[in-house]
Amino acid sequence: MRKCIILLALVLILPLTAVSAAGKAETNVIKVGINAPLTGSIPKVGEGTVDSAKMWLADIKKAGGLEVGGKMYKVQLDIQDNESKAASAVKANTKMITQDKVLIIIGPQSSKQAVPAGEVANNYKTPMISPWSTNPKTTLNRPWVFRACFLDPFQGKVIANFVTSHFHYTKAAVLYDIASDYPKGLAEFFKKAWEKLHGPGSVVAYESFTTGDKDFSAQLTDIIKSGAQFLFTPQYYNEVALIVKQAHQLGWKNVIMGSDSWGSAELVKLAGKDVYGDFFSTHYAAAGAKGATKVFIDRYKAKYGYIPDDVAALTWDALNLAKTAIQNTGKLTGNISTDRKNVRDALAKVKNFKGITGEMTFTGNGDPVKSAVIVRINDKGQFTFFKQVKP
Amino acid sequence: MKTTGQVPAEQNKFKTYRNKLWAPYRQVPILGWLLGMLASAILETFTGTYFALVFGMSDIPALFGFTVVIKQPLLIPGVITYILIIYVLPIAIVARLTRSLTNYIAGKLQEYPFWISAVMHIVLFYFIINTWAVMNDYRVLLAKLMLIAIIVTLSLNVINGYMGEFSCSHPGFIALGAYTASILTVLFFVNDSVLGAALLPPALAPFLFPVVLILGGLLASLFSLLVAIPAFRTRGDYLAIISLAFTFIIKSLLENLQIFGGARGFMNQPDLATLPVVFLWTVLSVWIINNFVRSTLGKALNAVRDNETAADAMTINTKKTKMTAFMFAAFWAGIAGGLFAHVMRYVNPGSFGIKKLAEVLAMVYFGGLNSVVGSIVGAVGFNLLSEMLRPTQIFKWIIIPVLLILVMIFRPTGLIAFREFDPKKLLRAKNKMEEDK
Repeated sequence: MRKCIILLALVLILPLTAVSAAGKAETNVIKVGINAPLTGSIPKVGEGTVDSAKMWLADIKKAGGLEVGGKMYKVQLDIQDNESKAASAVKANTKMITQDKVLIIIGPQSSKQAVPAGEVANNYKTPMISPWSTNPKTTLNRPWVFRACFLDPFQGKVIANFVTSHFHYTKAAVLYDIASDYPKGLAEFFKKAWEKLHGPGSVVAYESFTTGDKDFSAQLTDIIKSGAQFLFTPQYYNEVALIVKQAHQLGWKNVIMGSDSWGSAELVKLAGKDVYGDFFSTHYAAAGAKGATKVFIDRYKAKYGYIPDDVAALTWDALNLAKTAIQNTGKLTGNISTDRKNVRDALAKVKNFKGITGEMTFTGNGDPVKSAVIVRINDKGQFTFFKQVKP
Repeated sequence: MKTTGQVPAEQNKFKTYRNKLWAPYRQVPILGWLLGMLASAILETFTGTYFALVFGMSDIPALFGFTVVIKQPLLIPGVITYILIIYVLPIAIVARLTRSLTNYIAGKLQEYPFWISAVMHIVLFYFIINTWAVMNDYRVLLAKLMLIAIIVTLSLNVINGYMGEFSCSHPGFIALGAYTASILTVLFFVNDSVLGAALLPPALAPFLFPVVLILGGLLASLFSLLVAIPAFRTRGDYLAIISLAFTFIIKSLLENLQIFGGARGFMNQPDLATLPVVFLWTVLSVWIINNFVRSTLGKALNAVRDNETAADAMTINTKKTKMTAFMFAAFWAGIAGGLFAHVMRYVNPGSFGIKKLAEVLAMVYFGGLNSVVGSIVGAVGFNLLSEMLRPTQIFKWIIIPVLLILVMIFRPTGLIAFREFDPKKLLRAKNKMEEDK
């Protein structure tokens, strides 16, 4: 009995100490939500996102906060795990918007989460920037949703234009996975762009396979027989390794082009010399980077011990876009819905933003006009900057 | 009971004290608890923000302060006091004070047909959920997803618990229901770029939504024959493999149907699954499934589970029983899928894969086999737990599996397994309980 009373007394007294410690509500804080896949099938993507965000926050803290209209604000990151699931991404967004009252959301990264989560952000009138989602549906008809990367239709055009102007080729071959969303879309966009430049029939071989296939000799034989001058294969790095090796065994000598899905350090480990001298288009190139991009890469590597991939770089840009937009509003009113509206409007007006993945300009919708980078895999297996392609 | 001499005096004292404290509450009927919860929800609506600020939180804690505590352990006492003031004390006080009144009402209601009492309790319960949830849209979303999880868990329990087959086909059934309902609502009520202009005025949508859901459920139950018929010949591991294959077939089918977005998913569903709609469907599913498993057919399911040959000898038509159970469970999974699609307003085949299966199975086995209450506890518990532990990130996937393992060790069939759910017994007055025995 006595113990119960003591326990009860403790329970009643303890809050008082806590109240005095944390009693005053913090008013001059800007909350930035991060919706990232920390667990689930792509934890590396989540890790890159959070590492990048933490480095960004450290910079702001070092500067004493974020200055908006002459007033210093503290910045808080609200990191939520979406488990790489659509439903969880929606829950996380709803929580950040309605419960945590964040000013702006960065993420989710994959389109399968960004599309439904974008709907939530748009409904609750909260600005959201997805750094990595390339699916057009993410921002389509959603004034509150933005992205920091280019879209697949643009990437298809970039590759077609680059090959035409650099190699002066006219006959293309495509090999892609028909059951996977991203390669299929990109293959179609490339075909459209190429045929626009060289007329119908200029894609002499348009071959497909299904996810999980390991043997591509039938398709590759057809491609070699078709007389194509180069091969475009917008596959993931593990498949690329198989494709290039088998192509060379079958006697393919020409160049092979890829897309941003090639941009993993694993590619060279798996494919070895077979990919040396090939090209792919991507958001940024780590090796041979200059200026702000190089500074970012060096700092990131020093801090976390690995070279940042495109997710980390795009997240960095998305966060700085958010920072620019918040500062461009001139001042924060303290009323969260007014502030969100002001940030959205400022974000939609961002022009010539100097990101580490290229210069970005928003023109009325949530998709930035930005340049792509063509990367060459050199004789040492490094991804080197070859050319920047402006839209 | 053992002799009291062996029990330490301190513990014994505590026990009697606890009994003394708890004794009046043994006589509180469900109605009393519901009134208490309503009072607590109303109290939170009006004073929640004030108390939250006083105890150092920035806003009303959405999930009983659990996520707040994980991020800021300093607030633990504040959160505990908040829970005491807002939830525990009002419920305890109101339940205690209204005990004689609620017992009187519950006793009176027993004289009328049972459905009157049931409807009253359900309406009251809805009011509680509504009052609690509308404070915060995050709670509304969670409540909806939790209610849908209840339907899914219950329907899977019919196959895995009551019939004792290990079926892995539920994600496939949910996907079928989700896509069917989505396609129909988008086709009829939304101006879509793929499926064309709305065929019917959107004002009709809320009224025809049940029809759409039922069609989705029916399609799912039609497809369930693909699993049910092989189930006549196989059991155990083999049925698990067949049903797993079914899930993959459906997922692959949807990935390759380009007209419905393929792997990119299908969106633009109208916002039809509001909280009352989802609540109503959940109540309906609990009601119907509970009656189903308590019927002769439900008992036949148990017989088939325990010994198929013996059941056959006792004139149970095992084929018919299996087929009915599969189609019935698939129907409700389809309904749940349709609701899920309209809550999320986006579906993609990736949501209905092996991950979904693991989640559904975990809810069933966590809550308890062969038990309606168990399924409800499993679905709500699992959802709350995984939402509360979200801030712990990767540790969540250590804590939840460890909990599941502990449940499997100490209660191998789940938390509340093999228990019959009798709504009549649940809702009656408690002051006459001794006499009834």
